[in-house]
Amino acid sequence: MNISDSIHRKNKGKAASLSLSSASCLDENIKKGGAILLGAQRFDHALRQGLPKAALHEVQAALKDDTPCASAFCLLLAERCRLSGQKGSNPILWVDEKQTQRCRNLLYPPGLVELGIDPNRIIYAQATTVIAALKTAADAVRSNAVVSVILALSGKNPRGLDLTATRRLSLFARESGVTVFLLRDQLSSLSTAAYSRWQISSAPSRPLEANAPGHPVFNVKLLRHRRGIEGLSSRLEWNRDSRIFKEYAPDIGAVPAVSVFGTDYQEQRRRA
Amino acid sequence: MHIAMPLADARARVPELLIFDHDGDADTRLLARLAEACERYTPMVALHLPQSLVLDISGCVHLFGDEHLLVQDIEDRFDGAGLSFQWALAGTVDAALALARFGLKEGAQAQLPVAALDMNDKTHRSLERAGLYHIGDLADRPRAPLAARFGAELVLKLERLLGQEDRPVNPKRKSSAIITERRFAEPMGHIDSALLCLHELFIEAAQMLEDRKQGARKIAMQLFRCDGHVAKLAIETGAPTRDDKLFRRLLNERIDTLNDPLDPGFGYDLVRLSIAAAESLDAVQTDMDGGRDAASDEAALLSQLSIRLGRQDVQRFEPANSYIPEHGLHARAALDYKDAFIWDQPESGAPPTRPLFLFDPPQHIKVMAEVPDGPPRRFIWKRVTHDVTRAEGPERIASIWWRKRQGHLPGKAGLTRDYYRVEDSEGRRYWLFRYGLYGTEKAQPDWYIHGSFA
Repeated sequence: MNISDSIHRKNKGKAASLSLSSASCLDENIKKGGAILLGAQRFDHALRQGLPKAALHEVQAALKDDTPCASAFCLLLAERCRLSGQKGSNPILWVDEKQTQRCRNLLYPPGLVELGIDPNRIIYAQATTVIAALKTAADAVRSNAVVSVILALSGKNPRGLDLTATRRLSLFARESGVTVFLLRDQLSSLSTAAYSRWQISSAPSRPLEANAPGHPVFNVKLLRHRRGIEGLSSRLEWNRDSRIFKEYAPDIGAVPAVSVFGTDYQEQRRRA
Repeated sequence: MHIAMPLADARARVPELLIFDHDGDADTRLLARLAEACERYTPMVALHLPQSLVLDISGCVHLFGDEHLLVQDIEDRFDGAGLSFQWALAGTVDAALALARFGLKEGAQAQLPVAALDMNDKTHRSLERAGLYHIGDLADRPRAPLAARFGAELVLKLERLLGQEDRPVNPKRKSSAIITERRFAEPMGHIDSALLCLHELFIEAAQMLEDRKQGARKIAMQLFRCDGHVAKLAIETGAPTRDDKLFRRLLNERIDTLNDPLDPGFGYDLVRLSIAAAESLDAVQTDMDGGRDAASDEAALLSQLSIRLGRQDVQRFEPANSYIPEHGLHARAALDYKDAFIWDQPESGAPPTRPLFLFDPPQHIKVMAEVPDGPPRRFIWKRVTHDVTRAEGPERIASIWWRKRQGHLPGKAGLTRDYYRVEDSEGRRYWLFRYGLYGTEKAQPDWYIHGSFA
């Protein structure tokens, strides 16, 4: 009797029975795992006490150049998730596709430290194909050995990423309580089973002395939420020392005030 | 009669001589048996092929009274078995071996002939030609001229003979490798039964490991096909393990990721599993309610991913002992990772000074600056123009001039980098550097982009 097959079958059975359960039951299940709070009070309140941990969340970069920003947002959420949970010593798994081009763009450990993330707690895995990356993420979510998994995929429609694959991931996440972040390097309307979908872009920082670039600032926009929360959008600044996001209030005169509520991203960019 | 005498001479002297061929293997086996027998005196018994045994008797002598009583006991037993031998006591292994070889007793090193050094014949002859016949003649001589004339090896051997330098005894008794195998009368044509067999073999090996309080880190498997082909499989685990379920999972992972799948052909007739590397692992008491152990879960996951993606593609970060930025990318295979590292913590309140993503290698960009050695105003990267709104710098990072040939001389040290943290009008933050100091190192320094901040 093949043991991995039997595990596989058992999980499949669970998945089938879970998918039949009603949406309200789904919410109950998810709530048990606890929630990730961003730290910005208005935001957490609007999200009805944060993002559930035992779920799949999708983070999309508004443009390709915003990918570092979106990655940082994912990593910071994962780190907040790790710090707030009981499984604080468990690592975060970062899975991406192996870069084959001449100039590679690699996660830089000293940069992680600068954001307040402990590099000791990151496992960095590179898969050769999207399918292998999805399988790796699924195994990690199921194993209960990690606190969260960040799956970074590039391209508009990565081959193999679809509703079924994300559905599997989100079901495994609900089983084990491991948070899964699906990180995309561009906006995509591909339907996924994500609990929430976010659009992240970089924003001008609060200048420091001598007009030096300051702490990282993110334009955060909620595109979709399973509980129907809409129109949530804000500019968040990461505070490394207290490891929380703060709502960004621009200094008078430093940055033109832009209303970010309910505006289209491109339009917002143009106006800023 | 003496050693190395021609056979005809020997026959002429003793006509009724019995003659046997030399059987080196049998001698070695006999010696190994004697070594085992000698473990009654000390656990430190080493074979010294082709003809000697070394017994480290320190700390064991009092059980027999004194050293000579111990040797007497050995002599009696060898006599009883019909064997005769030469023996010697000395402070070091080499001294004892040489004394025994030349039939001398303790403390007589000075009377040994130079042949006891066990160098080549040429060296022995030239020593004798120089009037140095005994070790005693060499002992008082300064070492440096000897080393210059005959090589450092002679000095080392001499010091070992004189007891000034020792080498450790390599005892025969050490835990042997764990190898389990199964032979089949009829070749086995199914992969599944071969895997089942490997599973059973692992359970057997795990029991042996448990007796030794060890767990397997590397497991090597061989499937011998009856037409002579051998399929080799290997599994490496993240932590020592005796868990057969984990083994089965990793084995399936290994089979799935093979480039050319296993082909049983006419069938396997021998399946062998050996533990190639083991580490100590005490029995662990798990929770009564069957709670899962996070550390072992993590090790199991890492083993599984390392098998699937390749050992080098599952990594953990390690701080680099260098200020050159790209050295900081250093990561090692997660299976080799032992303890958490200590990372330099940034100053509180300061913004990030190192990017989250680093480009490897840095990319060339075109930069416009107000003054040649000032911060950039605008840069073109991948045909897109970025207007710089904020900039901080330069942070000057020198090249590793001490590694360069004549790096201490001006102009030979390599190019210095001036790093700037910049933010463009869209709010994206980048890390740029000017390669070479304007005017002194380079007339028109190039600019590169090295990373992007969050």
